[in-house]
Amino acid sequence: MVSLKILYASLALVLFLVCGVSRAAETTPAQKVVEHLHETLLAAMTDGAKLGFRGRAALLRPVVDASFDFDAIVRIVTGRYWKDANPDQRTRFVEAFKQFSTGSYARNFHELDGQKFTTLGSEPDHDNLVVRSEFGKPGSEPVSFNYLLRENNGNWLILNVVAQGVSDLALKRADYAAVIKAEGFDALIDRIKKKVTEMSTAP
Amino acid sequence: MVALSSTSRTLAASLVLLLATGCASPPGQNDNGDPHEALNRKIYNFNDVLDKNFVEPVAKKYAQYAPSTVRTGVTNFFDNAGYLNTIANDLLQGKLVQTGQDSGRFIVNSTVGIGGLFDPATSMGLKQHNEDLGQTFGTWGAHEGAFLMLPLMGPSSYRDVSSPVMDMLLNPLTYLASAVTVPTGILSAINTRANLLDATRIRDQAALDPYSFVREAWRQQREYEIYDGNPPGDGYEEYIEGKGEGAVLKVY
Repeated sequence: MVSLKILYASLALVLFLVCGVSRAAETTPAQKVVEHLHETLLAAMTDGAKLGFRGRAALLRPVVDASFDFDAIVRIVTGRYWKDANPDQRTRFVEAFKQFSTGSYARNFHELDGQKFTTLGSEPDHDNLVVRSEFGKPGSEPVSFNYLLRENNGNWLILNVVAQGVSDLALKRADYAAVIKAEGFDALIDRIKKKVTEMSTAP
Repeated sequence: MVALSSTSRTLAASLVLLLATGCASPPGQNDNGDPHEALNRKIYNFNDVLDKNFVEPVAKKYAQYAPSTVRTGVTNFFDNAGYLNTIANDLLQGKLVQTGQDSGRFIVNSTVGIGGLFDPATSMGLKQHNEDLGQTFGTWGAHEGAFLMLPLMGPSSYRDVSSPVMDMLLNPLTYLASAVTVPTGILSAINTRANLLDATRIRDQAALDPYSFVREAWRQQREYEIYDGNPPGDGYEEYIEGKGEGAVLKVY
C-alpha cells in the first residue's frame, strides 16, 4: 500500500510539474503582439525585392497600426508641446508619424539573409510588461530588441522599443522637441513627411 | 579610439575649448543638460562636413572593397591593442572576475590569435567587454556633468572627456615610432568609421535634428554601457501614473 501511495504522489508531482512548466512556457498576449509584428517583418523581408518599399509598407501598415499604442506614443514624443497643438495639427501629426514608423520598418527590413527573431521571455515592469527579444543571423552577435507593452481595454499594445539599449521614445522625444522648439509644430510634421518621402524613394 | 596620431592633438584642442568656453557658461540655461549647446552644434556641423566630404566616402570604399575577413581582422587587432585599458578599468570598477577573464582574453588573443588579428578567446568563452574611464567614473556615481561635442572625436561629456587619454596611454601602439603609428592610426580611424556606417545610415534616415538625435542616442548608449546592459530606470516610469487599468498616461 505504501508503494501505491508513493506512486500516486509521484503521479501528482509529475502532473504538477508538467502543468506548471507548460503554464510558464505559455505565450502571453503581450508576447503574441510582438511575435506577430516580427512574423510580419520577416514576411516583408522574405518577399522584399518583389514587394518593393511600397509593397512592404502596405503589408506592414495594418500590423503596425494594430500593435502600437499610438495614442500614448504621439503624446510622449511631442511631450509638453502636444497640448498646444490644434486638432488639425494633431491629426496630421498622427498620420505622418504612423507612415514614418511603417516606413522605417519597410526601409530597414528589406531582405532576408538568414536573420531571425527570437523571443527570450517577458517580465513585469511596474504595471507593464517588457518582452525581450533578439534579432540577427545565427553565429553573429544579435541585436537586442526589448518591447514595453501596456494593457489598454484588454489589449496589449507596444509603447516603446528599446534597441540595444537605445529607447526609441526617448530618442524621438529629444529629436522632436528640438525641432518644435526651433521651428514649431507644423515644421515637425513637414520634416517627418519629408523623411517618409526620402525613405520611399531611396535606392 | 580614433586615429591615434591625431588623438593627442584633438584632445589638446578640446581641452583648450573646454577651458575657454565650458566653464564660463552659466548653468541651467536650458532643460536638456546641454549648457554648451551653441558651441557643440558648431562643432557637430564641422565634424559632419568633414565626415560627409572625406571620411565617410573613404570608409564606404573601404567597406566595399576590403573583404569582411580583413575588416574583422583589423577590428580584432585594434580592439586587442586597446584591451589593457579595458582590463585596467575592470580593476578600477572592482570587477575582479572580469579582470581575470579579460586578462586571459588579452593573453590568448595576443599569442594564439597572432597579435590580436584573430579572436580565439571568444570561442573559449572569454567574451569581449567594453569598459573605459568614463564608465568607471559612472560606476563610481559620477553623472554626465554636461554634454560635449569634441572636434573629430564626436560626443562626450565632462565625465567621459578623459577616457581617450587613458585609452591612449595604455595602448602599446602609442609608443611605437610615428612611421608606424600614423598609418595604423589612419587605418584604425577608417575601420572604426566603416563599422559605424549602419548607425549613421539610421541616423540620416530617422533624425529630424541630427544633433539632438546623436546626443540622445549617445546618452542612452552610455547608460547601457555603464550598467553593462541593465540600466536601472528605463525611463518608462515617467510616462505612466497609477496602477493597472487605472493607469493614466502623463501628458505634458
